[in-house]
Amino acid sequence: MMSRALEQAPPWWRSRLGLFVLLGFSGLGALLLLEAPFSGLLPQAGGLRIVREFFAAMLEPALDYESPVPAGTPSILSAALAGARRTLVFAAAGMSLALVLGVTLGFLGSSAWWDEERHTRAAAGLRRAVWLAARVLITLMRSVHELLWAVLFLAAFGLNTFGAVIAIAIPYGGTLAKIFSELLEEAPRASARALAQLGAGSVQQFVFGLVPRALPDMSAYAFYRFECAVRSSAVLGFFGFPTLGYSIAQAFENLHYRELWTYLYCLIALVLLLELWSASLRRRFVA
Amino acid sequence: MKRDWWLRTSLALLLGLVVYSWTCGEIELGQLFTEQRQANLRRFAGEEIVPYPLRETGFSFSGWSSWAMELFRSRGAQACLATFAIAWVAISLAGMTGLLMSFLAARNAMRARPFESQGAPGAGFRALTTAVRALLVFLRAVPEYIWAFLLLAMLGPSAWPAILALAIHNAGILGKLGAESVEALDTRTLAAVRELGASRGQVSVLAALPLVLGRFLMYFFYRFETCVREATVLGMLGVVSLGYWIQDARSKQYYDEMVFFVALGALIVLAADLLSAWARGTLRRMR
Repeated sequence: MMSRALEQAPPWWRSRLGLFVLLGFSGLGALLLLEAPFSGLLPQAGGLRIVREFFAAMLEPALDYESPVPAGTPSILSAALAGARRTLVFAAAGMSLALVLGVTLGFLGSSAWWDEERHTRAAAGLRRAVWLAARVLITLMRSVHELLWAVLFLAAFGLNTFGAVIAIAIPYGGTLAKIFSELLEEAPRASARALAQLGAGSVQQFVFGLVPRALPDMSAYAFYRFECAVRSSAVLGFFGFPTLGYSIAQAFENLHYRELWTYLYCLIALVLLLELWSASLRRRFVA
Repeated sequence: MKRDWWLRTSLALLLGLVVYSWTCGEIELGQLFTEQRQANLRRFAGEEIVPYPLRETGFSFSGWSSWAMELFRSRGAQACLATFAIAWVAISLAGMTGLLMSFLAARNAMRARPFESQGAPGAGFRALTTAVRALLVFLRAVPEYIWAFLLLAMLGPSAWPAILALAIHNAGILGKLGAESVEALDTRTLAAVRELGASRGQVSVLAALPLVLGRFLMYFFYRFETCVREATVLGMLGVVSLGYWIQDARSKQYYDEMVFFVALGALIVLAADLLSAWARGTLRRMR
């Protein structure tokens, strides 16, 4: 019954099914290559206890420190809030730099503002060279992970909070530039063409004809990246920057799982809040 | 964009946040130019990132390339392969569980009469979709680094903590995106298949699955790109991917090797981007 139905199914389904099976097998192949035996899936001695404690702590996050702290230490809740504030601060600062980078490089790396007819060959050659340079720069910025940028800046400058900002700004700027240039190229050209008929120059067509068409999608994407930046900013704490990740890593090291969940809930709440905000804005952008 | 009070308020809030983040004193911009940091930077750029064998002799291309080839042959190649393999096993696992969960979370498939608009969903089915959705939120809200920390404590050092951490986090994301695709299906055709007497399993596997598979595979490859990025970084926790050697070089302060492995990481991220772009292009043509 099953095989008859498959024979009658259109061929593209069969090939996609084939692809699917291929994906499964290649996953197994990769596993063999890693030499990670399935015995590695068995918990090590005491491993299960750690997991049990971790998830038991989930239901009762710490409202007070689990071990004695020096007098005058702010309460754990205000420590968590301060961590959340710094997480947000680094994300917002990094994102504002990334936007500047993204808009500039996105413009230079897109061909949407080119006016093929009016320019001389020399100008066209120069434009192409700038385009290529922007593309290479975008790729370089994007392909190094933000944590690795952070590691590079730590090595170059030592621990300085501006390092966290720039570690977010570079890869996010590259990603924004890539997506912005794609959105600009896919934006409907009708109004730009109408402006051209009225005698507008290529930059005028771009600014008043194309950008307004692409702006809703660009803003929605930028906000989505802001959510991601908050996550990244938190994780940068693992390298000593004073965000939520720092407190999380410390709680993990001290086996204070209930404290860990306090910080983790704080992060999850922050991310969910931003997700809700972004969803409410996206509904208005698209409408 | 329409004039909308919520958009304006949000814009004002975001602008305020950016201004606050740069002015609240958390970002130590001034400290960047102290004598000590400048000296640190000069040492890093002038000496430490110069490949070790070239520090005495001065730069020569042949010296540089034999140093790089030696690093690549002894550790780099194996680490690149491991990074790719970890990402591929993880995304395969995430794809399988995510696809299953996307059907379990889709409100139009999980109702008393699947893919038909009439009739109540049924209390049991509603409870099921709500529970699966809550699970998906939880899986993706906890950052993959936290999963990796926990799994490392539970399973001990092997490739599995990295694989499972990536698989768990991405299953949450793919499950959510997949459920949205299933819910966006045109249910009239599916309801017609039901009319012909197809069971829930038959209509899901033979009619709905082929319709969402193309889109799901798009998401699958998009997340694969991210997995390669994260697999590189997760090595810093002790799995022998590229991140392991980055962390190793960092702790020994061999910054020449560290920069080399970061650059190697950028290359394989680039390779993964190209692979994923090619796969998504092929899928688009298959449609």
